[in-house]
Amino acid sequence: MEGRPLDDIALVERAKNGDVNAYESLVQHYQELAFRVAYQVTGNAADAEDAAQEAFVNAYYALGRFRSGAPFKPWLCRIVANEARNRRTSAQRRTVLAERALVAQSSGDSAQSPEDAAEANEFRSTLVATVQRLKEDDRLILAYRLFFDLSEAEMAEALNVPKGTVKSRLSRALERLRAALPADIRMPSPAGDSDG
Amino acid sequence: MADPRLLTDVELERALRDLGPRYPYPTTPNLASRVRNRIVAQPIARPRRLELWRDPRRLALVAAVLLVLLGAAAVANPATRDAIAHFFHVRGVIVNREASPLPSFSPVTPLDLGRRTTMEDAQSSVSFKIAVPAGLGDPDAVYIASGIPGGEVELAYLPRPGIPLVKQTALGILITEFRGDLVPGFIGKGLGPGTTLQETSVNGDPGWWIAGEPHMIYVDIHGNGQQVTLRMAANTLIWEHAGVTYRIESGLSKADAFGIAAGLP
Repeated sequence: MEGRPLDDIALVERAKNGDVNAYESLVQHYQELAFRVAYQVTGNAADAEDAAQEAFVNAYYALGRFRSGAPFKPWLCRIVANEARNRRTSAQRRTVLAERALVAQSSGDSAQSPEDAAEANEFRSTLVATVQRLKEDDRLILAYRLFFDLSEAEMAEALNVPKGTVKSRLSRALERLRAALPADIRMPSPAGDSDG
Repeated sequence: MADPRLLTDVELERALRDLGPRYPYPTTPNLASRVRNRIVAQPIARPRRLELWRDPRRLALVAAVLLVLLGAAAVANPATRDAIAHFFHVRGVIVNREASPLPSFSPVTPLDLGRRTTMEDAQSSVSFKIAVPAGLGDPDAVYIASGIPGGEVELAYLPRPGIPLVKQTALGILITEFRGDLVPGFIGKGLGPGTTLQETSVNGDPGWWIAGEPHMIYVDIHGNGQQVTLRMAANTLIWEHAGVTYRIESGLSKADAFGIAAGLP
């Protein structure tokens, strides 16, 4: 990821000058992020796919208004989230979210005993189900920071809020997540990896 | 000792970070080629329908600008009338000088270039021979507005090396051709103090070079005054030849704009 913003600046400039290949490279690089951001909002793969695709097309047409040298990633996130909101209906969201609370079963933690792995999976399933029940604003801010690793400045841009309020919003979202977790939840045994 | 069942902030954040890569997302679809195909098929944003009457502020602004552009001031003030009359020498275009700076706004109405079509269809829809500047080659997109007398064509070129992006149109070059002798008020222009207007001669015909600060342009795209484009425009070279008015809007210098005009009638 190091150096990526510089690549983005060059690619955005080329795309602004009508280089469709350059824009395709940007889409290639950010399509997973865009789809996942949209999915956090819609909770539905088909809507997330539509929203992400539409966001990329709209972002292309809006490149003329995009300030040269500004970071592309949070700007894109904002467009994607808006597109996704336009597609989501609350009824649809409730149905879909209720259908799936399955976490990808972790197969990579070979250092764990089967019991520990099962415990870790159960913990994650609970966490996912609880995150999904949060309000969209809370879910999005947690996802930006902790899933997608946006900086505070990037989050402010993506959420279209003043930079000074990002920290407090994040901490309130964490607070509400904690309050929504089952009272008897506890951290699983460490997996043995320290990737922090 | 804290209650062992409660997660601390640090633990919760760590748990979420750990969850991130394992979150049960569906497989990411391949969007790159689909996005590319859509952009290639439609190089210019499709105009959104804008219902002006639902937005009183925009409607008021449009009304105020139209009033000026259509020369209402001329009726009240003989000096202004002379000034406007003086600006009529390219048919189809009314230019008005504003004494005070123009309001700076993003496009008031979406850029509406008419209906996108092929060059062949465009040629059969207008009553004059469409001219394409040899130096630029085929346009990236062709649009027609057939509702006005004689028809109107817009040739859109995307930015490319040597042709900078124009923020106001999101294009590189936009060429407009229409029967200026048949539709006197098709285009109206309002120029603030920061915009220069030079009378000039293009291929021996009378014209203007409008440059500097973006100016305001009003296009009665369907010739009925009901669906207008009102926006800020970049540097423009405009002239008339044999009843057809030509307009080149770009971010190019005067010399480069004249270079393109040299390939037109």
